[in-house]
Amino acid sequence: MIAAPAMLSSVLALAEGPLDAHAAPELRWAGLALLLPLLSGVLCLLCGWMKVRSKLPAALTIAALGGAFATILRLQGVVGETPVVINLFDWISWTWGDASRFHGFTANVDLYVDRLTVFWMLFVTGLGTLIALYASEYMESDVGKGYTRFFGAVSIFLFAMGCLVMGGNLVMLYLGWEGVGLASYLLIGYYFTKPEAVAAAKKAFIVNRIGDLGLALALFLTWQCYGTVEYAALWKAIEAAPASSEWTAQAIPWLLMLGAFGKSAQLPLYVWLPDAMEGPTPVSALIHAATMVTAGVYLIARMFPLFVVNPDALAAVAWVGGLTALLAATIGMAQYDMKRIWAYSTISQLGYMFLGLGVGTTFGASYHVFTHAFFKALLFLTAGAVMHGFAGQLDIRKLSGLLKVPGFRLVSLLAVLGCFWLAAFPFTAAFFSKDEILVSAFTAKDERVHLLGWIGLVVAALTAYYTFRVGFRVFFGPVKYEPGDEHHGHDDHGHGHDAHGSHGSHGSHGSHHGHHAEFHPHGPRWAIRVPLVLIAVGAILAGWPSYRTMLNHDEPNWVKTQVVQSSAYQGGSADSHGSHAGHDESSNEVAHAEQAHADHGHLVLGMDAHTAVGRLGSLACIAGILVSLYLHLINRGAADALRRTLMGSIATRWIVVGAERKWMVDEFYDWVIRLPLRLIANILSAIDELLLDAGIVNGLGALPAAVGRLFRPLYGGVVQGYAVTMAGGVALVAAWVIWIWLRGAN
Amino acid sequence: MNLIWASILIPVATAAVIAVANARAARSLAAVGSLASLGALAAFAWQFPAWSTGAVFPEPCGCAWLDSINATLGVGFDSVSLMLALLEAFLIPICVIGSWTAISDRQREYYGWFMLLHASILVAFAARDVLLFYVGYEFTLVPLLFIIAIWGGPERRQAAHKLFLYTFLGSLFFLGSILFVGWQHHASTGLWSWDMGTLSSFASARLPANTQFWLFAALLAGFAVKVPLFPVHTWLPLAHNQAPTAGSVILAGTLLKLGTYGIFRLALPMAPEGGAALAVVASVLCTVAVVYAALICWVQTDAKKLVAYSSVSHLGICMLGLFALNPVGAQGSVLYMINHGLSTGALFLLIGMAYERYHVKDMDQIGGLAKRMPVWAFFMVFFTMSSIGLPGLNGFVGEYLCLFGTYIATGDASTGYPGLLGPGFALVAGTGLILGAMYMLLLVGRYVFGPLREPKDESHGKHAHDDHGAGHGDLTGREVGLLVPLALVCLFIGVYPKPMLQAIGPVVERTLAPYPAAVERTLKSQPQAAEAAKAEPKEDDRG
Repeated sequence: MIAAPAMLSSVLALAEGPLDAHAAPELRWAGLALLLPLLSGVLCLLCGWMKVRSKLPAALTIAALGGAFATILRLQGVVGETPVVINLFDWISWTWGDASRFHGFTANVDLYVDRLTVFWMLFVTGLGTLIALYASEYMESDVGKGYTRFFGAVSIFLFAMGCLVMGGNLVMLYLGWEGVGLASYLLIGYYFTKPEAVAAAKKAFIVNRIGDLGLALALFLTWQCYGTVEYAALWKAIEAAPASSEWTAQAIPWLLMLGAFGKSAQLPLYVWLPDAMEGPTPVSALIHAATMVTAGVYLIARMFPLFVVNPDALAAVAWVGGLTALLAATIGMAQYDMKRIWAYSTISQLGYMFLGLGVGTTFGASYHVFTHAFFKALLFLTAGAVMHGFAGQLDIRKLSGLLKVPGFRLVSLLAVLGCFWLAAFPFTAAFFSKDEILVSAFTAKDERVHLLGWIGLVVAALTAYYTFRVGFRVFFGPVKYEPGDEHHGHDDHGHGHDAHGSHGSHGSHGSHHGHHAEFHPHGPRWAIRVPLVLIAVGAILAGWPSYRTMLNHDEPNWVKTQVVQSSAYQGGSADSHGSHAGHDESSNEVAHAEQAHADHGHLVLGMDAHTAVGRLGSLACIAGILVSLYLHLINRGAADALRRTLMGSIATRWIVVGAERKWMVDEFYDWVIRLPLRLIANILSAIDELLLDAGIVNGLGALPAAVGRLFRPLYGGVVQGYAVTMAGGVALVAAWVIWIWLRGAN
Repeated sequence: MNLIWASILIPVATAAVIAVANARAARSLAAVGSLASLGALAAFAWQFPAWSTGAVFPEPCGCAWLDSINATLGVGFDSVSLMLALLEAFLIPICVIGSWTAISDRQREYYGWFMLLHASILVAFAARDVLLFYVGYEFTLVPLLFIIAIWGGPERRQAAHKLFLYTFLGSLFFLGSILFVGWQHHASTGLWSWDMGTLSSFASARLPANTQFWLFAALLAGFAVKVPLFPVHTWLPLAHNQAPTAGSVILAGTLLKLGTYGIFRLALPMAPEGGAALAVVASVLCTVAVVYAALICWVQTDAKKLVAYSSVSHLGICMLGLFALNPVGAQGSVLYMINHGLSTGALFLLIGMAYERYHVKDMDQIGGLAKRMPVWAFFMVFFTMSSIGLPGLNGFVGEYLCLFGTYIATGDASTGYPGLLGPGFALVAGTGLILGAMYMLLLVGRYVFGPLREPKDESHGKHAHDDHGAGHGDLTGREVGLLVPLALVCLFIGVYPKPMLQAIGPVVERTLAPYPAAVERTLKSQPQAAEAAKAEPKEDDRG
């Protein structure tokens, strides 16, 4: 068809990469960051086709992701302050009428490369590479079974995440948005014979779809208001007519928010994320902690120019973030499954990020995304190493003193390091990023969000408590452990661990709980250890920009530079520090915004906000750790006693039960939404089959029966043979033709 | 012209050869015939000059058919009808080869009827003469009736009766309408003409608004059955459920598209005043269908029935895009027709393949088949994603544009195409995105994933010819060979829909040409809507 030449030319254009004259030539290779993961996805498909039974898919994926990371690193060096749009090929675009602004729709496969894009892709591809390496060992018991599928899905994920972050218009973002949803679905449901995994995968996809509807509608509205969904043109359109008071323009942020809350697991759509822990642990680390769930933060940061016109929407974002942080932290305090606790902590930390966005500090939010990506990936991956070594054991009551277990010292050390970072211990990276968010909350111009600063501090204390509840219980104290009852592969092949060769006596550990003599936990090898160490180094270095700023006040924070020189800072009037940054003057603005810390007038407890938050945050963190230290290391019996006491009184019982049962939110949704809908569906189904069908249609009665009598001989077996039936058909046609002719002739 | 007739007559000739040939050769003959027909049509499409103009090629000839009323055998394509015909010609070989092991008795009849079905669908898409269109449209019923009634499931008779009753009654409305228009044309000009273009321009320009209203209502009533629109859809789930696999594929793939095509090709151009006046009513029905059918899907336990109901929901969105009466929605709608044929057809094919192995499609009895058939599971997930509109696959573009078109179809004229729908309709229909994911992932979660559940002993199955089946193994090379082209086309449309959109665009603009004015008139006759449109301040800003 006509497609062929057009296709060819677009493929050629891909290599040429039409660019603005002033842009660095390296930028034309930006597409590699997408193409390489796509390529490895296709190669994994081929591996699956050819039934490859080796670690080849992992090698391909790691190589491709590493290549993507290298591409992004190269881009990092050359990307300037002006965003560059790179057209790969035309996707959905056409015009009608006179092709004026509202007479056409364009959504091509474009890349929009600015500093925010590259910043985001940097940790996405970097962590992606390391976690793929980790998974190459972690998943090795599945070689020849799901191994190829796993790495294929990981490749798809990285490709889709690249589209999401690098896409040049909202439809590309939507493509990536749904694409990461697919990858998430496939990977949560990786152990597809396990009903819980399948249910969790389904739940994740459907809950996300609710948010996606918001995103889709926001997209329509954006076009309706501004006549374009391409970022570059959109910023111009907004600049031309910034403060639109039409309901359409005002509604856009609310709908975008819904999408963001779905993908980033915020109230009221957070319920899918804890269940998503059914997926293999590297997936939890990569998708459900470090990268995909931050897509909502990216969306709001990227579309910030649309948010600043609506202070109400920003306040809502802040409140949803703050409340989610609080709710998830309370649930996290009372769970016993290590991965679930980290999942709730992810929700809680994401809440901080949205709090930051809502109070106007896109920098604080993005910085927290950045620091969180490393330490949360570290925590999940160490949890995975533990799970890998202890036959699926994740119950923090059944693991203790792992620091002293041979082979687990490094893992334990790194996990404890991760705990310090998650707890935002003073002078860790997370301390700075959280500080930035809370200071902005206290100093925001919008009075309605000041309370959130205090809530944020409370959550900081709770976070420190539940983080070290895990840390002290699992990694310190006397050595004591029970293996889990699952083979690593979750599969009914049942020889997951035999691949390691050194411990063949697992055949019956389901019935041998507590008999440690028969269970030898195996420590991880290099492919797990190396990524762990590198990610830990990353977690430490994530604080580097802040250290430099601290030592030298004139030095702008590197992350801030990345965020400020992007759409995330455009129309910065909502920024708490009152700076007005645009693209052109943004480099000055960094310094200006830094300066602003010193001379804003908000006081918290008589101190300026920066000092107050730093001190209160440290205090909250240390208090949480100390409580945890007492209850979960020094006197573990006290924790149980406390729980018993609380359970003993009617007045306090609800606290324990509520937190342990996750405040019954899942059940609430089930009763209020799912079951009524199910009931309605059943009623409709019955109506459709009985009333409409049997009642009305068959009620017409005579005709079907007559038709039936007419045709019965033909197919009832009385008259066999094609000739007769076919002749009947021909006769029927002839009858019709004659009838038409008769009618026509009148 | 000759290639068009070749693609139509090759299957007819094949049917004739099959009738006299050896029964064992029937299936091969049918495959060759259908591929030859596809080849002829593809050759025509290759040299088709009007891809980007929206014109009809070749010019309808005056070749007489019924001289006394000047009915002709005029055939010709514009890019929309050609795409639908290509879809049909593409699906038929897949249906035929897909039936090789499934159909073991009365093969000659089966393949013969299939070839005739193919020919009549092609006639309907190719026809430029409304009477010829009617013949093609109506004749499809005969082969389909036999295919369902002879090779169908246990309730095949009831299904066949219902199918016949419904669609025949629907066709009467349709026939009455076109005869009325032809008669009006004769009364007005003294000439008989059944050419689609002539009748459309005559009816839209000369018939009074009131007449157009009833004309559109009658045409809509006729085609709605075929689409099928709520509430006249109840024949479809039963027909699908009872039809043999290939019957379902072609039913979902192209037969339903005859209804949507009829509305697009005849109802909308002939009666713009009626279309504008009835768009809201029709859209309400579509929107109800989206939610209603999706909810019903969600509680089905029979895999095939679930997919059957999903057609009702999907076509609701498809029709909604058309009634948005702007190029965005209408383009999406046409694309959706093709996409739905591909993805739903493929899903029926896949369910049929599993059915051939187990003779069970009740998800209470069977499930977790990914364990047994990983390749099948891969395709199942692929086409499910296509069906629920994952961007990058075909379903997305059509669905998205339909909803987009619906959304922007407000009274506001800045797009050049004022509409009568708007965000409310898009929001309700948009829940189809969520509900669609709910029921399709339910299907995948139970049927494909989860613990393996197989019926204990299927030797008591209804089909006595198990030896022809493929056992319990994964897909055979033949089956994979059927699915791969479908998957590739889905992927291509999803990744690079531009050529198709460019081809559909001009036709859509032509079809919708009288609508902005008609919609304006309708808006004026509704005082509130007019006020609302006036109250929108941005109307001036945009100019």
